[in-house]
Amino acid sequence: MGDDGRVTLPPRQYALVMKLLELGGVASASRLAEAVGRRQSDIMRDLAELESKGFVRVRRRSERIVRLSECGLKYLEEGLPEERLLNLLREADGRLSLRDAALKSGLSRDELTAALGRLRRFGVASVRKGILILQEGEGIRKLEEYVEEVKGALRGIRGKGVPLSNVAGVDELRRRRMVDVEEIKELYVEATDVLRRAYSAGLISMARVITRLTSEDLKSGAWREAVFKEFDLSIEIPLKHPRRKNPYIEFLNMVREVVESMGFVEVKGPHVEVALWNFDALFVPQYHPSRRETDVYIVKDADRYTVDAPNDVMRRTREVHERVWKYRWDPRKALQLVLRTHTTPVSIRTIYERGGGEYRVYSLDRVFRPDTPDATHLMEFHQLEGIIVGKEVKFKHLLGFFKELSRRLGLGEVRFRPAYFPFTEPSVEGYVKHPKLGWIEVFPGGMFRPEVLYAVGLANHSVAAWGIGIDRIAMMVLGINDIRDLYSNDVEVIRRMPTPRGVVS
Amino acid sequence: MPIVEVSTRDLERLARRSLSRDDILNALELMKGEVEELSDERLVFEASHDRPDLFSAEGLGRALRHLLRVERPFMLAAGRAPFELIVENPPSYRPYAYIAVVRGVELDDEAIRQLFQLQEKLHLTYGGDRALVSIGLYDLDRVRPPIKYSSVSEGRYVPLGCGEAMTFTEVLEKTEKGVKYAHLVRRGEYPVLMDSEGQVLSFPPILNAESNKVTEDTRNVLIDVTGTEPHLMMRVLNVVTYSVLERGYGKAAVYRVSIKGSRAPYEESPQTEWRVFRLGLTDVESVLGISLGAGDAADALTLMGYVVSFRNGELEVRIPPYRIDVHGPVDLIEDIAIAYGYSRLPCEVMPPTHFSGRDPLERFVNVVRDVMVGLGFDEVVNFMLTDPDIIERSVGTPYVSVANPKMITYSALRNSMIPSLLLTARVNSEKLPHAEVFEVGDYVRPSTRGDGKLAPTTEKALGFMLMGDQYTLTDALVTIKSLMTSLGLKYGFKPLKSKPFIEGRAASILAGNTEVGVVGEVHPEVLTALGISKPVVLGEISLSKLHKLLTHYPPSRQAS
Repeated sequence: MGDDGRVTLPPRQYALVMKLLELGGVASASRLAEAVGRRQSDIMRDLAELESKGFVRVRRRSERIVRLSECGLKYLEEGLPEERLLNLLREADGRLSLRDAALKSGLSRDELTAALGRLRRFGVASVRKGILILQEGEGIRKLEEYVEEVKGALRGIRGKGVPLSNVAGVDELRRRRMVDVEEIKELYVEATDVLRRAYSAGLISMARVITRLTSEDLKSGAWREAVFKEFDLSIEIPLKHPRRKNPYIEFLNMVREVVESMGFVEVKGPHVEVALWNFDALFVPQYHPSRRETDVYIVKDADRYTVDAPNDVMRRTREVHERVWKYRWDPRKALQLVLRTHTTPVSIRTIYERGGGEYRVYSLDRVFRPDTPDATHLMEFHQLEGIIVGKEVKFKHLLGFFKELSRRLGLGEVRFRPAYFPFTEPSVEGYVKHPKLGWIEVFPGGMFRPEVLYAVGLANHSVAAWGIGIDRIAMMVLGINDIRDLYSNDVEVIRRMPTPRGVVS
Repeated sequence: MPIVEVSTRDLERLARRSLSRDDILNALELMKGEVEELSDERLVFEASHDRPDLFSAEGLGRALRHLLRVERPFMLAAGRAPFELIVENPPSYRPYAYIAVVRGVELDDEAIRQLFQLQEKLHLTYGGDRALVSIGLYDLDRVRPPIKYSSVSEGRYVPLGCGEAMTFTEVLEKTEKGVKYAHLVRRGEYPVLMDSEGQVLSFPPILNAESNKVTEDTRNVLIDVTGTEPHLMMRVLNVVTYSVLERGYGKAAVYRVSIKGSRAPYEESPQTEWRVFRLGLTDVESVLGISLGAGDAADALTLMGYVVSFRNGELEVRIPPYRIDVHGPVDLIEDIAIAYGYSRLPCEVMPPTHFSGRDPLERFVNVVRDVMVGLGFDEVVNFMLTDPDIIERSVGTPYVSVANPKMITYSALRNSMIPSLLLTARVNSEKLPHAEVFEVGDYVRPSTRGDGKLAPTTEKALGFMLMGDQYTLTDALVTIKSLMTSLGLKYGFKPLKSKPFIEGRAASILAGNTEVGVVGEVHPEVLTALGISKPVVLGEISLSKLHKLLTHYPPSRQAS
């Protein structure tokens, strides 16, 4: 309460006191809750606060309530036992054997005994030699009055509970088990004089509710006079999609980190490639099926473009093809422009440019192969390519590299099987275990053939090479079943993609 | 890689041993085959391209015999056929032919099916679908040698599977094979294989004759190859000949045939000689990294079908004529490794020899991606292959396109990020009330050089797009200003009149004096044509150029 006697109440407390006064200043808590459209449990804290402010008194009152028992209900509908016995006796012209009374009255033995007792007590009937005999007189009227009185009382409490004190002759009803008495505890709220006075003086008003605190409130201090709206935490909260880097690109960067951690340097090469680098220098004969138009994209109007084909590579390539494969090697076919079908030309160009020494490079980039996109095929995908160049590089180092790479990518155990690639010998395919598909091939590689190294002029060195279709691994890591989802421009699809495991942990 | 289907009973007959499931699975792993189906009756596997000798049951049975030690490999002597192949006036465009003879075979339905499968697979893999090499098999007892390969302006015979005689021209028009392979022959200069009585054996590479086809009664087989690549033909002939030999189950023999009048590099065929390679154990060690004893290495090679002897501390390895995949010692070393077992080979991690590193441009890309996410953009990924129609509408020429697309929508390489951004707008415009996305990627823009030729140059670029009623050019300019400022680069804008933007609502982006990109509101005509239902503002900046600027003129040295 302010110094001037003004009272500002939060909206619900305001509503409660106004209703209480409207109901005459006293009301049970349940009635009051109903009046303000709340459950009783919702207003208990408000009542406690109002009581502590001295505006109301909350009393716990217990009350005994009388209700009709099952038996009482039956008697009300079918008649009291003495009433029914009297009617039966009358129908039998005032004489009824006790056996017939038991058979025809439909009363239980106890009820019959009590009814007989009551007829006799009122002097309405007597029993002689097993025969019940009606005795006309004052008794009948008195009994009928008694019956009417009892039934009247029963009618008065039928269907509702009535406070014990309000029921006449309740002792008789209880004795005859026609009613049950129940003790009910109820909170009563009573307006205090303080409240009544403040109300009469028009000093009570409703407080402002703050749903959003403002800097103005802070500055003015108005928040002190206001109340904060309570949040309902059960209400559904909208989801906000974070702006994010694409999970697939993040995965590719994770792979870059892993490969770099094993001592590799990233290199780049052209997407539009000369067949020389894509095939011929790699010892792929010009009649090899992988060079058919169904398997490689040929660049249209290739004669408009410059072609990067060093003379020495052309010469040595021809020499080695004609010596080993023994066919007429066609330089025009080697000068064809294609979209690279793998990233191995990036490796072989690097060897040509750098020559001998000890080094390891990798590239992670797009390659192209004619295909119609579906859940497992794409015409454009990423390949992770790498080479280890040195004088003492052996096949066992390639196998060791695959095992270590698998460990670092979290792909587990690797199984090796013999494989064929035109440019490596020995060649290998590493398999890892897929949770659903079983062993799947993920790590192809081998030692570059001597013919390949000869074509780019590298002598006295060996090169371990590998070229991995990284998208398959991306699908495993990202838990994606449709490869097209990796290359998605659909914002809703991207939002559903999980952040790659390896990036998180 | 060809899919080969064999009967397991036939395989056991050829391997001369009963075969367990594991025998077959293990052998195929060593032979680089991929099993697709294995039941009690049938084995289907994908054969490795380098092992054409395994494209049918015959070669696989032989390999199993060696691998399971049923038989040690040995060099079977070849005889010489008592007749010649006369090559006389062959077609100019298909000048070569070779033949071989195998005597003493026993054929049944399954054997004929296998030999047919072998021919078919060889045609597809090594024969360039018959353009380079085509193969034919005949019943030798139904022809009268010598055999002649020549060209005729027209011929007539009963083709295989046909009830009546036809001219060669009719064969090209009326038979299925004729229609399919007609492009391989020239009208009026038809290749023909005839016997000494003028009977047509074959109209290669189209169709053989009915009269001398191989049947279950055939005991002696004549094999021919014709084509354009003599050495390739000879290797294919070897594979076929030695597969047919297997159908003698140890009792058949190969006969060489001399060639008369040929300008080919061979005087007789097939090549029955076993080539010899010397192999030192140090060679094995230097490739694989394991040191094997001479006995172990020799045993491994024997299991793989080679004949091995020792000479001056080296292995002398003889290569079967059908192993056309062996070119040198490394091929033998791989076979040693295979027989030894890839699972038993040592694995060793070689410690890095040098410091590693990211491509500097890729590193820069990640800085830009961070900024873009911070500015409230989602990252999308598009293909580099795109629809030339979108390129034409949004950017224009030049761009690289492919001559043999599978789908027209993926038949050109993007020459800017703009086509990808418009595709992104199209995908999302009906689903989202608004979108803010970016993509960093490569595009290929052919640039003109001094000699007038085009150089297909890969460029790394950032593209971003704002789609929705609330966006105007201002929002895109804010994005560029914010990006450039956070990179510490000075920038400027210059009015731009260009596709696909609305005139007066587009700009070139300058950094220093270099034009590094464009930005603008996309013209409603373009949006409508592409089915984009919301306004789109987009921008593109070359990260290759920005990176170069940053490297050459770091922010600290830029004049303020």
